[in-house]
Amino acid sequence: MLIPHPLLGPRNAQEFTYLGDAQLLRRPDPQAPDAEAAFCDYVFQRSNPAGVHQELWFHEQGDRSWLVVTRNTVTHEILGAELACDVAKREGAQ
Amino acid sequence: MTRLSGGLIDRNRPLKFTFNGTAYSGFAGDTLASALLANGVQLMGRSFKYHRPRGVFSAGSEEPNALVELREGARQEPNTRATVAELYDGLSARSQNHVGPLHRDLLAVNDLFSPFFAAGFYYKTFMWPRAFWEKLYEPLIRNAAGLGRLSMLPDPDSYDKGFLHCDLLVIGAGPAGLAAALTAGRAGARVILGDEDFHLGGRLLMESDLLDGAPAEAWVATVKAELESLPNVRIMTRTTVFGVYDHGIFGAVERVSDHLPEPGSTVRQTLWRITAKRSVLAAGATERHIPFADNDRPGIMLAGAMRAYANRWAASPVRQGNDAIAIFTNGDDGHRTARDLLAKGANLLGVIDTRKGAAAQGDYKVFDGAMVTGTKGRLGLRAIEITRDGQSSWHDAGALGVAGGWNPNVHLSSHHRGRPVWDEARLAFVPGQNGPAGMIPAGAAAGQGGTAQALASGAAGAIAALAEIGITAHPIALPTAKDASADQEAFWHVPGKRRAWVDFQNDVTVKDIKLAHQENMRPVEHLKRWTTLGMATDQGKTANVSALAVMAELTGKSLPETGTTIFRPPYTGVSLGVLGGGDTGKGFRPERLTPTHHWAKARGAEFVEVGPWMRAQYFPQAGERTWRETVDREVLAVRAGVGLCDVTTLGKIDVQGADAGEFLNRIYANMMGTLKVGMVRYGLMLREDGHLYDDGTCARLAEDHYVVTTTTANAGAVYRNMEFAHQCLWPDLDVQLISTTDAWAQIAVAGPKSRELLSRIVDGFDLSNEAFPFMACANLTVCGGLRARLFRISFSGELAYEIAVPARYGAALMERLMTRGQDLGATPYGTEALGVLRIEKGHAAGAELNGQTTAQMLGLGRMVSQKKDSIGAIMSRREGLAQEKRRLVGLKSLAPQTMAVSGAHLFEQGATRSMETDQGWVTSACYSPHLQGYIALAYLENGDARMGETLVAANPLEGTEVPVEVVSAHFIDPEGGRLRD
Amino acid sequence: MTDLSPITALGDAAPRQTSFGALTIQENAGLGLASLYLRKGQTAPAPFGMRLPEVSGAVQAGDYGAFWTGPGQWMIELPNRAEADVAALVLAEATEASVSEQTHGFVAFEITSKAGADPLEALLSKLIDIDTAALGPGRVVRTGLEHMTVFVIRRAEDRLAVLGMRSFAGALWHALETTCQRLESKT
Repeated sequence: MLIPHPLLGPRNAQEFTYLGDAQLLRRPDPQAPDAEAAFCDYVFQRSNPAGVHQELWFHEQGDRSWLVVTRNTVTHEILGAELACDVAKREGAQ
Repeated sequence: MTRLSGGLIDRNRPLKFTFNGTAYSGFAGDTLASALLANGVQLMGRSFKYHRPRGVFSAGSEEPNALVELREGARQEPNTRATVAELYDGLSARSQNHVGPLHRDLLAVNDLFSPFFAAGFYYKTFMWPRAFWEKLYEPLIRNAAGLGRLSMLPDPDSYDKGFLHCDLLVIGAGPAGLAAALTAGRAGARVILGDEDFHLGGRLLMESDLLDGAPAEAWVATVKAELESLPNVRIMTRTTVFGVYDHGIFGAVERVSDHLPEPGSTVRQTLWRITAKRSVLAAGATERHIPFADNDRPGIMLAGAMRAYANRWAASPVRQGNDAIAIFTNGDDGHRTARDLLAKGANLLGVIDTRKGAAAQGDYKVFDGAMVTGTKGRLGLRAIEITRDGQSSWHDAGALGVAGGWNPNVHLSSHHRGRPVWDEARLAFVPGQNGPAGMIPAGAAAGQGGTAQALASGAAGAIAALAEIGITAHPIALPTAKDASADQEAFWHVPGKRRAWVDFQNDVTVKDIKLAHQENMRPVEHLKRWTTLGMATDQGKTANVSALAVMAELTGKSLPETGTTIFRPPYTGVSLGVLGGGDTGKGFRPERLTPTHHWAKARGAEFVEVGPWMRAQYFPQAGERTWRETVDREVLAVRAGVGLCDVTTLGKIDVQGADAGEFLNRIYANMMGTLKVGMVRYGLMLREDGHLYDDGTCARLAEDHYVVTTTTANAGAVYRNMEFAHQCLWPDLDVQLISTTDAWAQIAVAGPKSRELLSRIVDGFDLSNEAFPFMACANLTVCGGLRARLFRISFSGELAYEIAVPARYGAALMERLMTRGQDLGATPYGTEALGVLRIEKGHAAGAELNGQTTAQMLGLGRMVSQKKDSIGAIMSRREGLAQEKRRLVGLKSLAPQTMAVSGAHLFEQGATRSMETDQGWVTSACYSPHLQGYIALAYLENGDARMGETLVAANPLEGTEVPVEVVSAHFIDPEGGRLRD
Repeated sequence: MTDLSPITALGDAAPRQTSFGALTIQENAGLGLASLYLRKGQTAPAPFGMRLPEVSGAVQAGDYGAFWTGPGQWMIELPNRAEADVAALVLAEATEASVSEQTHGFVAFEITSKAGADPLEALLSKLIDIDTAALGPGRVVRTGLEHMTVFVIRRAEDRLAVLGMRSFAGALWHALETTCQRLESKT
């Protein structure tokens, strides 16, 4: 596969380390009263759909950026990729 | 000799070769198959199941029959297709799959028992009695099965891999491929043109058609010259594009030196990974045959192959020059072969055409509305039976060409589950619309098999493909060419009672397909597995569609309703050697060496692999008979004097920035923000699920600069997780992470005399306990101005330091410490002694931090700060983990000569051995030279409260049980006085 | 000056060099390196008067060089200054940035061609899965080479540098040498 790195263009997927569901960006509030239950979901409940999925990939043999890649897990079609820090900042600002 | 005139062979370069020990000669440009045919050799092998005599059937990589063992000794390669093996001087080949000489194969007896070997025979016969399978049936079947033999010697050749990138990959260099490549090349696009053949031209070389009024090879030569002159075009002959992968990635094998007697100093083959923005599939078509009774005799081959041998290789299919040749066809393509053979002076019996009213297209006899219904000739064709209007007659014939129509080579277009579609007008499956993204089929592969059609569709395909990526290509002047008539009727097999082969390689006949139908194995995937149709080296290239047609007829369904099998990579067989790529043996996996590696090697150290690292395991001295003697000496030297160990492999991550302290508070379970500059703190890292995953020290070099040390094994993972936390969780913190593991050579200087030794090399630095206490760190210089970092930390439990210098000085520093510390007993020690020292001290390592353990279990529960959030903090407080009662303890073996091994489980004396009574497990164990006995670390239920208790460490795998006494994990200096003085 | 003697990344007293056909591989043991990482919100400094390059760029200006390594990150090159405190020199030029000493963390192999770009690009195509069209002079890439992570800097049409982790120096040399050897024997 080729991962379309937002800064570097298409790169061999072998340069990357795969993590999985991009939901991991959304770490629960540790101060919240139901923090333990929220963390339990965060750690153990990951989606793994057959279809379009947002995933985290780390450019280990590259610029060391974490990416959020939108990929159809059935066809392997990649619909987009962003720097994870941009996604995290955007969501943090909301 | 049955060599004809003309052809693309170099008659000035004769080549000698042997087949089954008999010497023959051919010419440069021959394949093994063409050279054998030109020598009148029809019999080339035996079939897989019935051991029927077989001859060459095709002229390309689809060959099912003519498989040989090529070369001698270690280079012997089984199942090589004679049709694609280029002849070289001295080539030697042997036929396969027979016992005794080829013409008198003892296993031909199988053919007599063929009624018993029908499809499904194995599945049904060898089921019972069950016990017979392993001892009797399987060895017997394995002995009889298989085609060629392996040499069983190591492969002497080397292989290579590489990566190529282009705008347009053109697969196949026939008329469509050449037109596509030239169109794209002239447009300035970066083009790769790949073909499995050693000449460009594809089918153009096999036909007598004229291009621009001249033989086609003249046009091919012109195009080749122009393509070679274009710097943006790469021509790759002898290269098979064997697979299509995601996002425009293709696998290809280039046979770099298979056409040479030996590769010499170059590689045998290269595996290429080609990334192409677009591709044109111009892979041509494969002819199919028409099954009829006894259609597998040597001398019977595809009519298009017969034409190819005559035109390109000037080889006749008969054993003797004047033997008659017949053609059996269901369309005009058979007549094309007849015309070409006549032009070469062949003795043509005539054309048997299934179509009523078919007329001759030249000076030969036509049997219209007729079929071939039988053949004779044990080791080669002698006669054929022609049946017309119910009347049969026998005719002498030395060769028979069969023309059943052409199947587009759709294989690569279906590698992404793209389904070919049935084209009723062309009576063929053509690539569907759902093929791999960016691939445009052209030429015969797209059903555009006429020469003019192929040229035009190739050029148009290139223009369309390049337009999609913003490159404008213009139509080029194509040579004038004619499309030969493709008229044919749907005639799939000759009905009859005798065996009619569909798949030659697997000995699958029409009867077998009928049997599969009868047994309800009707879906194509079932048909394939029940009959083995389409399996093995040729993957049914000449058989699959014909078999489908037979099944369609039996089920009364249409051919597209019957379906088609999915083609998967590889298109043709790929050797495992080339898939392995460049390096074998030690070079297969790169090694990491420490800065003192060569120094340690010179001292005779033994090394151990730790991930990619090679670490010194121990340093044997003369007179030491076992590794234990060496390790005991090293351990005692540390405890008594001073020892030196290279610990460079520990991960070192520079953490800088205004928020470095806050960031590390969130990374470590314990506080790091409060660490004073110039001090070091031991830290625990948790996974978000609350379990421990790494530990190490963290030094604060400046207000905004920390150095995090990780374990050797987790250096990569810790860095990756810290980047995750930085980029994905807390992107607003001002933190910069840089890995500096390799930059610093780090040496542990451990033992009561370590301070004394270091004081001899530091440049005026005060090492006193007051000035540089336990857990202090500093930048300083040593040995007359060399920059260094010094940390007062200890893994061994002794007074100890770790000193880091620029990596290139690591070996020199080690040598200097050895020299200056000679009188102090300075001793290098390896990972074994390091392990013993830390077990004696009760320090955790990988075995204790195995991903299932918690800070509490280590007795460090209070280190997990309750005042702050950090990764894993919340989950570490959940009920199951908070109430964890197992604790790290020490164990002393009560049996003097026996060790409680790691992994042993602990039980109370006399208790039954079960999950319910299990008290914990041993994590690490060693002989302690200090305590002069076997000791271990273990996790034990309520461990803290069980000091002095006697338990049993059971190892049921080896049936051993060792009585042990529970003690503190700190066998050495439990108060820690040695560290702090 | 210390009286300790350094060794090269390959474990020798002097840098190694070898030639195969048009290609020469030379270990560059004198290359000083320090990473420069911008603090949050910091504007890029111009160390040694160099304008720090954009994504995938590499610049050389007199005795200094710089190449992009990641967002807000560069490696600063000081040829023939391996014995100096390179991090301190760079920090003096970029006082607000985070600077780490990297001189000894890497091994650098300079590869030159006597026959223009073609042999270099043939070599790259055997080593890394990077389109050589995107790796012209003044470009840098970090990628995998035989399972190792390397920087490849295209210094000129006929020159490039491969920087790998120092501990992998021997394995990297083996990979480069073997590949050059095979390319030579093919031609």
